[in-house]
Amino acid sequence: MTLPATDLDTHVGPPVGESEPEAGTAIVGRSPMQLAMRRFRKDKLSMFAFSVVVLYFLAAVLAPFLVKFGVLDPYTFHNTGAGSLLDEFTLPKGSWGGISGDHWLGVEPGTGRDVLARVWYGVTFSLVMAIAATIISVGLGTVFGIIAGVSGGFVDSAIGRLIDLVLSFPSTLMLLALSSLFIDILVHDIHVPEGDVANGTYVVLVLGFFGWPYVARLVRGQVLSIREREFVEAAKLMGASRFRLYFKEILPNLWAPLLVSATITMPTYISAEAALNYLGVGIKPPTPTLGNVLSGSIDYSTSDFVFFFMPAFLIMIIVVSFNLLGDGLRDALDPKGHR
Amino acid sequence: MASKKKRMLAVTAGALLASTVLAACGSGDDDKKSEGAGETGGTLYFNVEKPIDHWDPQRTYVGTDISKQSRLVYRELVTFGTSEDAVESAKPLPDLATDTGTASDGGKVWQFTLRDGVKWEDGSDITCEDLKYGLSRNFATDVIVGGPAFYILSYLDIPADADGTPQYKGPYTKKGQDLFDKAVTCDGKTITYNFNKPWPDFNLAIAALHFASPYRAEKDQGDKSNYSVFSSGPYKLEGTWEKESGGTFVRNPEYDKATDDTDSRNALPDKIVFKMGTKLETTYDAILANKGDAACTVSDNRLPPSKFSEIPNVQDRYQNPDSPYADYLWFNTKKLPLEVRQALAMATNREGWIAAGGGERAYTPAYSVVNPAVAGYKEVPTYKDIPLAGDPDAAKKILDEAGIKTPYKIEIRYPQSETADKQAAALKDTWDKAGFTVTLSPEGDVYYSNIQKPDHNYDVGWAGWGADWPSPMTVLPPLFDSRANIQGGSLGQDYGKYEGKAFNDKITEAQNATDLDTQITLLQEADQILADDMVYMPLEIAKFNWVTGKNVDFHTTPGSNSFPDLGLIGLRNGGC
Repeated sequence: MTLPATDLDTHVGPPVGESEPEAGTAIVGRSPMQLAMRRFRKDKLSMFAFSVVVLYFLAAVLAPFLVKFGVLDPYTFHNTGAGSLLDEFTLPKGSWGGISGDHWLGVEPGTGRDVLARVWYGVTFSLVMAIAATIISVGLGTVFGIIAGVSGGFVDSAIGRLIDLVLSFPSTLMLLALSSLFIDILVHDIHVPEGDVANGTYVVLVLGFFGWPYVARLVRGQVLSIREREFVEAAKLMGASRFRLYFKEILPNLWAPLLVSATITMPTYISAEAALNYLGVGIKPPTPTLGNVLSGSIDYSTSDFVFFFMPAFLIMIIVVSFNLLGDGLRDALDPKGHR
Repeated sequence: MASKKKRMLAVTAGALLASTVLAACGSGDDDKKSEGAGETGGTLYFNVEKPIDHWDPQRTYVGTDISKQSRLVYRELVTFGTSEDAVESAKPLPDLATDTGTASDGGKVWQFTLRDGVKWEDGSDITCEDLKYGLSRNFATDVIVGGPAFYILSYLDIPADADGTPQYKGPYTKKGQDLFDKAVTCDGKTITYNFNKPWPDFNLAIAALHFASPYRAEKDQGDKSNYSVFSSGPYKLEGTWEKESGGTFVRNPEYDKATDDTDSRNALPDKIVFKMGTKLETTYDAILANKGDAACTVSDNRLPPSKFSEIPNVQDRYQNPDSPYADYLWFNTKKLPLEVRQALAMATNREGWIAAGGGERAYTPAYSVVNPAVAGYKEVPTYKDIPLAGDPDAAKKILDEAGIKTPYKIEIRYPQSETADKQAAALKDTWDKAGFTVTLSPEGDVYYSNIQKPDHNYDVGWAGWGADWPSPMTVLPPLFDSRANIQGGSLGQDYGKYEGKAFNDKITEAQNATDLDTQITLLQEADQILADDMVYMPLEIAKFNWVTGKNVDFHTTPGSNSFPDLGLIGLRNGGC
């Protein structure tokens, strides 16, 4: 039975008979979201981290256009003839890794390619991969978590064992060993374009697949408390379908923990991309990613420190920013959980 | 020394962070000088990055391993000395034999006589039968794999089967044994080899490779003997060789210096310990810093370009010899039209490739696939005319005039390493400008077996080769003669699937030449045919960069293929 529309009015607005609040100190009704936003905005550190993250995203979106129009040039060599920017050891001429007006972060040893262009363009590829992997792992984790939490019983324990299985899998080793096999399958059976796309897709799939159990556990815990709440009981009593129960009743109450967990997951994938690239899996040069620029620079940690430092520094900044942002969001969304 | 297993540029992924800290605070500890000659005694440490493939002499085909074996454990009828001079070092010296051999019948028959008192490590004499047995192992092509057997298989006077392989099938099956016994005969201490065509420099082949090494029959367990060492040299293996970790060589008391009048085996250290599994950068960080055993350490993996800036600090223990190798690009002649190959060659940026690989310390530009140290080396004018930095505009013109649609897709294959990635990107840079769309396809450890597959569809790839002995006969035919290479399930070294009748005919002519000068002229003409057909594009001659610990009196010679010469290396300052 539908509640008469007029009855709703009795729920909102100041109760009849109470005195109007004094002017200037108006009490405004605020949704939990608005409250969270207020708390978040007051947190200076989180706001700073947030702006850094926004800056990275802007840079990532801009980079392909800048490369297209030739403002950034991550591919041209400056290692031969009169225009060579390298000395006899094929290290950059000049101090500080060859930093100059034309090359703000210096040039790469051996090739003379512009470091700024390579790391900037690298941010684009790294972020795209990290976001895609995050979407996969959070998506899978949410679905499995809700199903396990709501269903309980056999389904719950089956998913629980599956989670244990995936977590106990020697994932890094397997993904190194199986990379060429799976990339072959991607290319020949699923017709993913060979090269960067296939290599990148593999990393995204693997990170996503091995990342979902953490999210699923978190979601399951939340669901266990939500499913006992009245509105879920009500929906059940009214004969709501499972699908409606899962995704219309419970999911909307999960966005806060999901947002936090996505924010915390992202940076781990950015560093994971770098680590995997060092081990030989991922997008290969000359296409830059933060990972392959970093792994190419590791040999030069003593001889050309600036070159080594730049990609490492950029990775560090974005990882720290994401983590601070995640912390800030958690504090704002869940004020009871103060540190 | 085929560079089949040569690690491209010897630079793999970078060093671990922790290891670099060592270098940063390194080269203090200057109380001992890094000068002075090596002394007898001490323990030398020899680092190799990846497992050594074989210790079996008949199966060894990697330049550095051949040299290790000659200097330490395996004596040959003739061997190369330790002269620094290129001409002098290319002369064979009598080792197990009393002289450098006698050729007769226009080079078709060779005779050597064993000297007295040469012994195996168990004290028994090295006999003519041992020599004969060693040679026979080459014919067991299903067991003794990996070695340079094809030379003796094609030269020794044994009738061929219908499929072109010799009718003798090796000492394990003994099929056709009488044929072999007729081709190689023993008369007391004198061994006679009969060939089906002239082999004017057979003794150079014995000195350079180990296919004719003596082998004691009862020690032979086929494939199981791959890592066993039965020594005739100044050292012997202590215990067993462990594939993944190495082994230790100690003095062989049965080796009598009086029977060895070569200058190839000073045998100064008492002990030589082979270690493996350490990353190259880590090894060199330790050597540069001179800490502990590293002061007595030698490596046969080159100093990586990222450490070149340390060279001025270690000038007194640094050597930069030319290597016997040449690197080149092969083109798939069955897939790419001639004009495309010519355009690729024209736009090939050798200078950029060299700079990305470490610059003039790491390479000199090449004008032929034949290394300049090989007798009869001649620059090919076609390659001399292509500018070192490549000429994309001229290349574009070649494509336009031939009516080839651009952008033309090209994929380049090479063994992956940080440095190789940069070098390949340097090629891409100018090729793209010439109208190609280039994709890089780096590969792992199986690189050579992939490009040897007959059905591969690759466009262009890297390869490296060094002459087996100082003759162009060991460069052009093994690389481009389709008759010798393309058979069964493999392209051999003819990665570009080249089948040139004119070229093959020239090779036949050269093979039948009785004197070396005619042979060399014919081979120079053959090289020009290859350039006209644009079968390959020479890139550079690799240079080696050696740095050793400060207590090592380091030597490298042409006779050791420019790798560390264990015949001369000794320790000073009392070792470690």
